[in-house]
Amino acid sequence: MAYRWGMAVDLDRCTGCEACVTACHAENNIPTVGAGQAARGRAMHWIRVERYYEGDFPDVRVKFRPVLCQHCDAAPCEAVCPTYASHQSEDGLNAQVYNRCIGTRYCGNACMYNVRFFNFFNPEWEKPLNLQLNPDVSIRSVGVMEKCTFCVQRIKAAKVLIKSENRDLKDGELQPACAQACPTTALVFGDLNDPESRVARLSHSPRGTKLLEDLGAEPKVTYLQKQAWYEPDAH
Amino acid sequence: MNRTLTKPLADDLVRPLFHTSVWFYAIVLTAGTVVACGAAAWAFQVWNGIGVAGIRWPVFWGFYLVNFVFWIGISHAGTLISAILRLVDAQWRRPVTRCAEVITVFALMIGAMFPIIHLGRPWLAFWLFPYPSSREIWPNFRSPLAWDFFAINTYLTGSVLFLFLPMIPDLALVRDRSTGWRRRVYGFLAFGWRGTTTQWNRLESAMQIMAVAIIPVAVSVHTIVSFDFSMATVPMWHSTIFGPYFVAGAIFSGIAALIIAMAVLRKTLRLEAYLQPIHFENLGKLLLLMSLLWAYFVFAERLTVWYGNEPSEMAVFWATQRGEYAVFYWTMVVCNFVIPLPILGIRRLRTITGCVIASLGVLVGMWLERFLIIVPSLAHKQLPYSWGTYEPRPVELTIMAATFAAMILLYALFSKFVPIISIWEMRAGDRPATPSATGDHS
Amino acid sequence: MKAVYGLYAEPELAQQAVDNLRAAGVADADITVISSEPFEHFEFGHRDAKTVMPWMAVVGGLVGMTTGYLLTSVTQMAWPLKTSGMPIVSWWPNLIVIFELTMLGAIVASVITLLVSAKLPGSRAGKLYDPEVSDGYILVGVENPSDPARLEPALAINGGRVKSVES
Repeated sequence: MAYRWGMAVDLDRCTGCEACVTACHAENNIPTVGAGQAARGRAMHWIRVERYYEGDFPDVRVKFRPVLCQHCDAAPCEAVCPTYASHQSEDGLNAQVYNRCIGTRYCGNACMYNVRFFNFFNPEWEKPLNLQLNPDVSIRSVGVMEKCTFCVQRIKAAKVLIKSENRDLKDGELQPACAQACPTTALVFGDLNDPESRVARLSHSPRGTKLLEDLGAEPKVTYLQKQAWYEPDAH
Repeated sequence: MNRTLTKPLADDLVRPLFHTSVWFYAIVLTAGTVVACGAAAWAFQVWNGIGVAGIRWPVFWGFYLVNFVFWIGISHAGTLISAILRLVDAQWRRPVTRCAEVITVFALMIGAMFPIIHLGRPWLAFWLFPYPSSREIWPNFRSPLAWDFFAINTYLTGSVLFLFLPMIPDLALVRDRSTGWRRRVYGFLAFGWRGTTTQWNRLESAMQIMAVAIIPVAVSVHTIVSFDFSMATVPMWHSTIFGPYFVAGAIFSGIAALIIAMAVLRKTLRLEAYLQPIHFENLGKLLLLMSLLWAYFVFAERLTVWYGNEPSEMAVFWATQRGEYAVFYWTMVVCNFVIPLPILGIRRLRTITGCVIASLGVLVGMWLERFLIIVPSLAHKQLPYSWGTYEPRPVELTIMAATFAAMILLYALFSKFVPIISIWEMRAGDRPATPSATGDHS
Repeated sequence: MKAVYGLYAEPELAQQAVDNLRAAGVADADITVISSEPFEHFEFGHRDAKTVMPWMAVVGGLVGMTTGYLLTSVTQMAWPLKTSGMPIVSWWPNLIVIFELTMLGAIVASVITLLVSAKLPGSRAGKLYDPEVSDGYILVGVENPSDPARLEPALAINGGRVKSVES
């Protein structure tokens, strides 16, 4: 049976440390644009940790929400692309083919999660930082969109490995960089088509919700958090 | 009426082709310089990357798309209006049609540049074309941008033909009156037109069919431009009203552009005898109608959003109504409704000057409308954490200025080389529309 | 080409000239009328008004429609790529492309019909023409007449000038 990759994000476990953001940058050769360009809205973080504050000072609570591409089944970014750069892969990944992208940026507008990022300039790495680039991941040139791939290079490698060893993929064996780096295991990645996988079970947890679920994009990322009826008085 | 009297008419209308004033060179030089600056700005952007523009995450579309919608909107002045007036056989259309159709062709050409200018990799724009390539991939016909490609190409092809076909007899007339290189050039462009009964009948048939065909195409073009927005689940974009709302706005701004162009032509080419107050009066009434229609659509849109009270839409609603974009919003309302309504509604004020003032306001207002549709929505999508802002950069402003200069330049050149008022249609209009005394044998 | 023709300032005179030529036994198809504007309200302006153009427009539209259908659905099936959970052959969006190509087909077919049936672009060499037409005169004449002398009186109407071409 085909894979159907998905993720569960346990908000009750997330400490907002942003290790996932750093790991993602390192794994996927995401350029850092510098303070000036970041202030002009050119920063690229395939996964970001959104901070929300609850309550009034001094009784303030911070909530963190890591947001990455939700790899929607009915992803609004896909159909609007005139060149099929954005489309759904057989494994249910929301794939972005850089070579086909001509940079209309329509996908970025259509995405309600704002998790698509645009290369406004050609990326640069100061020496010797160019030596730390991941050879498994292509560098994106100016004018193309990029976004979270669920570390598709690791998925491909794992598929080759299990084929050569003639075995099935073990749950948890394959992890994207963010999940691997998460110290509290708030991010759980796996195959949603395997009912026994951790991610499949967590996706059916009563704590689970989907982000902006009512917009109908059918995201494959589930957010887990204590539901409101748990909280006696939040404020 | 003596038919020989049409000779002075023809002489008068080809006069701008043979006599050039200093102003022509001044306008061409000035506008040409600005266009050259725009071309340089675009080259700068292609060389350095589109990051030199102000667009950013999450406002991925900015001034370029605003100008795209604006110019495609302007293009609804000509062919659409001229086609409608031809079909209902409105006699006052005769001096107006060509001025209007020219606007359509040039505004479409300018507007269609923007989707290419705004691309991240404009050198790959030809991937939008449906052609069998070695990549074995075709455009995604589910994308509104692919629809744009077909709609704009159909409209541009139709509009160029709609402009050119009735130009042929006039080009033949210029051919007969010129010598040397002009005679050769106009002779080539006139396609060997003689004016036989068969040729006239075929031309009229073709114009009738084209007029019928071009109206649904024009409506579809701006509807599809609106689909670029309404297909996405972006707050205040995802609306069924967008199709008719955009078409009405397009005709609105198109008529305004036409009135301004006619007023300028009237003064610069001394066409007071042809572009008379009655034409401005009639177009002014149309503009008034469109202003009311526009206000109706805006009210329907705003009321629906406000009453529905959907949080993400309300964020955009308040940002435009009383937030950071409120200045632009209320300027738009003043320019599109508050100013035009009394000027065009009170007969004493509906003079040529009055119509031009109202039209200038409408152009500003309709430009702001497109800005207010595109930017505040993208800046306030569903997740408040990813809200943003947008400011244009010099490169965007230069290219925008260049497109206005390009319109002036192209219009000046066109009215220099082609009679801007259709001579044969004016001639045909001289005769009252009554059945002939000799009877109808056909 | 040899020809005999008259130039008239008034369409009524041109109509009279056409009628006279007919009376003189000239076939309708041999009478050439050239003018600087269409005269829809005169009988001579209606000669040869029948055209297949509307039908050609319909045919062009059907060709465009078929092209649109094939272009969209065949290419979608040639490399089926899933986007936004839509069907591979998505009718709603395809209808837009089909509509545009239908209209384009109708427009192009009408214009081609116009060019072919009005013989445009064509050469004026060896054809009856007088530049005075562009001053507003209406030319009524006969190309290669068998008996020019007999036709001249028919064209010589009060207010008209009769000319002939010999070459």
